[in-house]
Amino acid sequence: MRNEKELIEFIKEKLNPLKINKLRKNNVVVQLNNSELVSGLNFLKSQSYSHLATISCVDWIEDNEFELVYHLFSYQDKINLSVKTRIDREKSKFVTIKNLWKVASYYERDIHDFFGVEFEGNDNMEELILENWNELPPMRKDFKTREYVDQKFDWRQYHGQE
Amino acid sequence: MKEKYKNSKWQEVINWAQKRSLFMLHYCTGCGAIELPPTMTSRYDMSRFGIGPAATPRQADILIITGYLSTKTLRRVIYTYEQMQDPKYVLGFGSCTINGGMYWDSYNTVKQLDKYLPVDLYIAGCMPRPEAILEGFLELKNKIEVGDADGYKRYKTDYEYYKSNQENVLGEVKRRQ
Repeated sequence: MRNEKELIEFIKEKLNPLKINKLRKNNVVVQLNNSELVSGLNFLKSQSYSHLATISCVDWIEDNEFELVYHLFSYQDKINLSVKTRIDREKSKFVTIKNLWKVASYYERDIHDFFGVEFEGNDNMEELILENWNELPPMRKDFKTREYVDQKFDWRQYHGQE
Repeated sequence: MKEKYKNSKWQEVINWAQKRSLFMLHYCTGCGAIELPPTMTSRYDMSRFGIGPAATPRQADILIITGYLSTKTLRRVIYTYEQMQDPKYVLGFGSCTINGGMYWDSYNTVKQLDKYLPVDLYIAGCMPRPEAILEGFLELKNKIEVGDADGYKRYKTDYEYYKSNQENVLGEVKRRQ
């Protein structure tokens, strides 16, 4: 069983993180190069970080990048480990990790729904949450929610008391 | 019902009987669903007023849209509504069904329920408490007695209006004839 400090030392030694820090108690964030991510996750999985809680995505529109965050948990260390990596926003393509965790294929479909990121190797990219969506993926920062709502729905007209 | 009994004294008798036995479909779309169990059970006990929960749409009279309604759920709600048998009533519940409520600028939430389904009664609030729900039910009963709760008739006469609004938001809606 490691504490956060030991875990940080351990990851610094074994992997090649761009950034690593303790966010708060039982929470560690590590940033990896995107070419090393899959091998890094594979290694962490063998080191008791075997629970993939979810995958999330952040749109950094100023940097023209998407950030994928893989949330891992260890039942031994009781530490939440967020493994981050950044990918190019224009190409928005990454590799699947469904061979490591089967459940990842659903999280990847979800991210494909809302951010339009493609995952190579994951063939099933049907819509998971949305239905008949033909616009820009709605969670992208350049999706104009107000314009879309104005065009798709009508506002209720109120006539005050006369 | 035969044509000659409509709008006759018989209709009043039928309305009188109808309002005393209402079954509410326990179909929960949004966060308002949490107010329904206390309304149904011993604390507020809506069976005092002759209203009970029903499990399937074919056995129910009242469809309550409890809170926000996403476009994906709207499709299922339409299927549900069309399965119900006449006479049937729609209750819009909470401010989300009236004008979108706190989801007024969400890309995925229906803003005005009455454009897609014929609403008989709105219960305002975010969320309405069980007292407000019971008040709404009593109001609905009054409307049924005087024959104002005619949403299911409007759905037939203005079907093109509802259908075009539904298809504007959802694309094609497959229906079984």
